[in-house]
Amino acid sequence: MSGRRVGAISTRLLQQFRRDHRTLGLLFGAPLVILALLGYLLRGGGDVPKMGVVNLDGGGLGSVVASALERSKAVSASPMSAAGAEAKLRTGDIAGYVLLPADFSVQALQRRTIAPEVHLEGSQPGLSQSILQSVSQSFVALAGQAGGLQFAPRITFLYGGPSFDTLDYFGAAFIGLVVFFLVFVITAVAFLRERGQGTLERLMASPLRRAEIVLGYMLGFTVLALVQSVEVLAFSLLVLHVHNVGNVALIFLLEALMAIAAVNLGIFLSMFARTEFQAVQFIPLVIVPQMLLAGIIFPISTEPGPLQALSRVLPLTYAVEGLRNIMIKGADLSWSTLQLDIGVVLGFCVLVILAGAATLRRRIA
Amino acid sequence: MATEAVAVDVDGVVKRFGKQIALDGVSLRVRRGEVYGLLGPNGAGKTTLIRSFVGLVAPEQGTVTVLGRRMPQLEVLAHVGYMTQQAALYPDLSAEENVHFFGAINGRVDGVREALEFVDLWDRRKSVVSTLSGGMRTRCSLACALVHKPDLLLLDEPTVGVDPQLRVQLWDGFRKMAAAGRSIVVSSHVMDEAERCDRLGLIRFGKLLAEGTVAEIKAKAGVDRLEEAFLKLSGVSDS
Repeated sequence: MSGRRVGAISTRLLQQFRRDHRTLGLLFGAPLVILALLGYLLRGGGDVPKMGVVNLDGGGLGSVVASALERSKAVSASPMSAAGAEAKLRTGDIAGYVLLPADFSVQALQRRTIAPEVHLEGSQPGLSQSILQSVSQSFVALAGQAGGLQFAPRITFLYGGPSFDTLDYFGAAFIGLVVFFLVFVITAVAFLRERGQGTLERLMASPLRRAEIVLGYMLGFTVLALVQSVEVLAFSLLVLHVHNVGNVALIFLLEALMAIAAVNLGIFLSMFARTEFQAVQFIPLVIVPQMLLAGIIFPISTEPGPLQALSRVLPLTYAVEGLRNIMIKGADLSWSTLQLDIGVVLGFCVLVILAGAATLRRRIA
Repeated sequence: MATEAVAVDVDGVVKRFGKQIALDGVSLRVRRGEVYGLLGPNGAGKTTLIRSFVGLVAPEQGTVTVLGRRMPQLEVLAHVGYMTQQAALYPDLSAEENVHFFGAINGRVDGVREALEFVDLWDRRKSVVSTLSGGMRTRCSLACALVHKPDLLLLDEPTVGVDPQLRVQLWDGFRKMAAAGRSIVVSSHVMDEAERCDRLGLIRFGKLLAEGTVAEIKAKAGVDRLEEAFLKLSGVSDS
């Protein structure tokens, strides 16, 4: 064991990094960016879930519960009519509402049970959970006033159901994500290898047009990506039994579009990396922020305002939303939200294809 | 296209990379059916000049005309074979698959066997490139440049790492191609290779210092050996 020889290796490594400013920036900058983003996301005073309170109670107990809910800090509850609440639930403006029936007070006093109806949108388990919690807490006050009350809410779900769990919620998003990110990384690295091993130079010295190179890459990797999509989809639906009420062909269509976008994003971004090492650096820079902001883990509606705006610009947001619309809500092409989702993903595909073809020329000449 | 009397016509080409001047007003002509040698030390501008022939370097001044077409022009590239200095191959493909691919992108795959036989790799055609030796990779790279039977062949130091016996064999092949009317540009800093060229261009600091047959260059410098002539003409020798 020679300290000098070991030292030579360590010194050489540090020397290499000294010239690679990008890697240094990433090493020391990326963790702060990601942590700051996460901190802002979780503590930035984001919105709480919105819910409605429909008070039809003839007696006085209903308003006690209603005002307890409206004071709650865990949800943002506002009074509304039964029809209004149902409409808002369907458009996704509220994550749920509680309906206190006309005989609410009577039932409570005579039969010692309180039985509110809780209607949940259901596609986001986290939001449903917050609402259920707030509703049961609001009854604690009531139970204190009149002891020995039995709390028996009747819960209905617009989408999903009582067995709808976190995997069902994440599964829909991850089916698309896995394909998007793996295809992106593989394409970026493959294109960099083409550059590094000198074969790109040869391609450029042939009659090949730029569009032909980009298209050829796209077709080749799309074949791989589609096979992967089928595999991921089959495993999720048949083995994991991820909740799906939608059309499998539509899921596949959206996945295929994401795969095509990923291939071209890979080609495009590989123009900004010199080595495969630098391509891997796109993961914390491009992928992690998108993971946090595309509504995959944290619902966009509960993000702090400025981040919501940012999320609405990310194409991945629409892809994830689209997959959830299909799988959880059973959306088809007649739904305007799904049309928007697919439209945005399609537009993004076209954009990165053009960007990839344009940058290819710039870096060669 | 092969009927042009001049295969490459370079006229006053200037190219800078930042402050570094890579080509400083180079003018030269490669005639059809000749083997033209670009001779010069490392960093003289040989590779930049060859890259300008295929449109990979855009001159700031001057023009490059290849097989009668003003560059950059894509279609004419189907008639040009370009062998880069580094053996540019796909390491995960076999020798034959590589050659076939480069044939296909140039629109011709009927010459795969001929090209592999030319570089003596037909028996190793199924071998994956990453398992080939350095010299074999160089030969495979050459086969990739030949496969579409180009009228103009650009070879950037084609015989580096190739053993002397095969080098002789390759040069015989080059001579035969030239005799059949195809033009070849070879860059080299190996003098015995330069001796085999029909004409030579001496390059240093991005300038063409001298041009002519081996005999003409020796005569111009007034020496018997090409190496001395090269040193003298490039101003290194003080005699």
